[in-house]
Amino acid sequence: MTRTGEVWRSEIAIVGGGILGSVLAGFLAEAGRQVTLIDSGETGGSTANAGSLHVQMQSRFMRLYPEHVPGMERQLPLYPRAVRFWREFERELGADFDLKVNGGLMVAESPDQLEFLKRKADRERELGLSVDILDRTDLDRLAPYLGPAVIGAEICHDEGKLNPLKCNRAIRDWLQRLGVTLLEGVRALSLEQNGAAYSGFTLHFPDGERLHAEKLVLAAGAGTGALAATLGLNLPTRAEPLHMNITEATAPMIGHLVQHADRMITLKQFSTGQIVIGGGWPADLRGPRAHPTVRLDSLTANTTLALHIAPSIAPLRVIRTWAGVNTSVDGKGVLGPSSRVPGLYYAVPGDAGYTLGPLSARLVADMMLNGDAGEDLDDYSPRRFTA
Amino acid sequence: MDAPLQTFTYNGQTVTARRGESLAAALTAAGIRTFRTTAKGAERGIFCGMGVCQDCLVEVDGKPNQRACMTKVNGPLVVSQEAHARPLPPAEANPSPRQAPAVERPDVLIIGAGPAGIAAAIEARRAGASVIVADERAKAGGQYYKQLDVKGSDVAPPDPQHAKGAQLIAEAVALGVEFRHDITIWGAFEGRQYAGSGPSGAVRFEPRAAIIATGAYERPWPVPGWTLPGVMTTGAAQTLWRTARRIPGKRVLIAGNGPLNLQLAAELVSGGCEVVAIAEAAASPSILEAGSLAQMLLSAPDLIRDGLAYQKVARKAGVGMHYKTVVRKIEQEGQALRVTLGPAVAKAGTASEETNYTVDAVCLGYGFEPANELLRGMGVDHAFDPVRRQLVTIRDDGGRTSLPGVYAAGDCTGLGGAKAALAEGAIVGAAAAADLGFGVDPLHLAASRRNLARHRRFQKALWSLYKFGGFDSGLIDSETLICRCEEVKFGDIEDALATDMRMIGAVKRQTRVGMGRCQGRYCGPVLDTLLAGRFGYERHDLSGFAPRVPVRPVAIADLAAEMPS
Repeated sequence: MTRTGEVWRSEIAIVGGGILGSVLAGFLAEAGRQVTLIDSGETGGSTANAGSLHVQMQSRFMRLYPEHVPGMERQLPLYPRAVRFWREFERELGADFDLKVNGGLMVAESPDQLEFLKRKADRERELGLSVDILDRTDLDRLAPYLGPAVIGAEICHDEGKLNPLKCNRAIRDWLQRLGVTLLEGVRALSLEQNGAAYSGFTLHFPDGERLHAEKLVLAAGAGTGALAATLGLNLPTRAEPLHMNITEATAPMIGHLVQHADRMITLKQFSTGQIVIGGGWPADLRGPRAHPTVRLDSLTANTTLALHIAPSIAPLRVIRTWAGVNTSVDGKGVLGPSSRVPGLYYAVPGDAGYTLGPLSARLVADMMLNGDAGEDLDDYSPRRFTA
Repeated sequence: MDAPLQTFTYNGQTVTARRGESLAAALTAAGIRTFRTTAKGAERGIFCGMGVCQDCLVEVDGKPNQRACMTKVNGPLVVSQEAHARPLPPAEANPSPRQAPAVERPDVLIIGAGPAGIAAAIEARRAGASVIVADERAKAGGQYYKQLDVKGSDVAPPDPQHAKGAQLIAEAVALGVEFRHDITIWGAFEGRQYAGSGPSGAVRFEPRAAIIATGAYERPWPVPGWTLPGVMTTGAAQTLWRTARRIPGKRVLIAGNGPLNLQLAAELVSGGCEVVAIAEAAASPSILEAGSLAQMLLSAPDLIRDGLAYQKVARKAGVGMHYKTVVRKIEQEGQALRVTLGPAVAKAGTASEETNYTVDAVCLGYGFEPANELLRGMGVDHAFDPVRRQLVTIRDDGGRTSLPGVYAAGDCTGLGGAKAALAEGAIVGAAAAADLGFGVDPLHLAASRRNLARHRRFQKALWSLYKFGGFDSGLIDSETLICRCEEVKFGDIEDALATDMRMIGAVKRQTRVGMGRCQGRYCGPVLDTLLAGRFGYERHDLSGFAPRVPVRPVAIADLAAEMPS
């Protein structure tokens, strides 16, 4: 980033230093581009993600947004690729993300739920996922921590988990090594297109400072829609505030990423021995900055379900809860050039954005660097909106 | 009457306790100092002695991670040293179905049964309000008025401070204040819903008004060796003595800032300790402080009388007094601890000014941090007070906070001392009751206000007498732990800051500082102060770690309620 008079300049500005924006900044810098990464908090990845690497269709989203299911199915093949890409990325950075692909279980408590999982597994197999249906005998062997109410499960062999704290740290170090300019603790207020013809963008910050960039990437998760609106564009990003819980450490017991066919729960254990309990229970957005805040009813229901699924965790203590924001659009990501404004790009992953982050970053980087990513990404084009 | 003694086993060996004392007290008396080992294999024992630090964890009857300081010996327990991340016991075979937690709806809920809480309860109840006081301990009294837990011919009887507390508690009970003991309120939501857990699981309170009176906990003194077993807070040692008539060791050194250390010295001497020295960070009181002393004598002659008595006991016992002196480091030396004392301010060539003592236990009492996590978690406004070097709750003269229906009283709002808390509690209890439409005696209230003003004058003079600049970051050594729980060193913080990190949350996520079981209570203020100094800002509401529920670690079994539909 350089400064001319009153205005900072950068070849490319990326707004949003979450997982997608951060990794994209790195890929563009690796290709020799001059990149400024702007975040109202810190850059390097999500501040709230709990590290599930999702592959199978999440029953939660299928229930909440049945109209998204076709989109979810279309994006499904991207997920196993995204997990493999995480592994390659870990190797490339020479880092330890605490990444484990031990498979993910989606458990059922009733014949109806098991039937739903069987149908889902059939569809997922057609779309290239490695999935199986397990009965209680299998589970007694593979997952003895599951409570007596569980009668069977779908296992998705491609699923896993990682520790976002470790990833974020390695990614931020990588960005600094590559010379990416990190503007942390800075909120971009509005965007401006410089003239009707293509001549770049001006970003406005609260203290009156401005940044001029030739190319602009919006990677601000649920905040992307509001930023796009300042350019007169319409992208319906929806903030989905939700909360997570983490316990004190215990001996290794839960190897899988555990979910439920009909209820909102994720359970997994980090290599620290701590168990992370989540699953999308809603949080509130409170205060003038719409700060995500844990709700008592969510916390109670979430921990009650966790206890029901894995009863031996009863004496383990929750030491912290936190709330973050998931981004939902229409079940699919929004990746690539704006159909309206030359030089503007979007980088918003689909559901399970952390899982999809690095791969989506690669695809957007290739589109920006080469004009296309070498594959048909029409499904994710911003063209489907007035964006 | 219960038998005065109770046996239990620790690592298979029989230990005899005085019935009713804490496991921490009984084990200390049995000469056991290491209660758990950390992820890195370090040994830990009692540190805070009041349920905050989570370093005295032991396994009790198969339940992992129980705080020895908060577990009473009332039956034949099976106890063992806790190792990091031990496997969990098998699940209960036929657990009873989970119920929705009972909801209690008093006019006034008071959280914390210390001086402020009890005084508030008495006044609110006297005005006619229904009052419940929830407290995480088995007995009311808080820290200042903690009651004796044990009996026996070898047990020194209660002293006037115990008696005054007992009288207050009795007064509250006689008025119809309901105490809920062993209840940890772990979360407050929107000022209306208070979630807790206790011996029978989840509990809920939905009061018309709540008074938060959660007190304070001791400031950390993060020098090399501050995590060794045998190094504990002054409050922890005082709890051993005042609740169980136990002493932390035979030879003891007390260091810190303020009169509590003197009181502890006198108490330990009476308990048979050899108190080798008191290291006071402030200067020796001189004629220059005559004004402060006179002010104190006028405003609280009883406290001055107590102080002089403590001093006399200490002098008679030959306790060495060091002024403008702090603990620089503590090292393990066989079974003993070697303490290095030195000047309070780090400067070059101070080695010649260092003094060493070899002792069994070290007590550190460098002042207090307000336990304001429930208030901050709810979003109640706070401001930084540079004199007390802590956040204070913004309130009006009736204790009303920035959230309707939420009041705060006592040390959790910023330190003021037990006597001020008592006076303030009475005012805030009356204000809460009056706001709910209950009649309050104006003469009585005016007396409380005069009382509070008097104790504030005393406290102000006391601070002037014990003036001290706080922990000098020049004493920091990169190998020293800042975060006891996650075993994060100051050097790790420096490494993070070297990558241009400025936000405390970012440093937390990078280094794991503050992510452990004490929830950042000890490292948080130290780190916030460090960053404020480094980046030239004054600490404020949002500059420390974000407050999170639960404000204490809570077992999943105690968080869970009825199955969601």
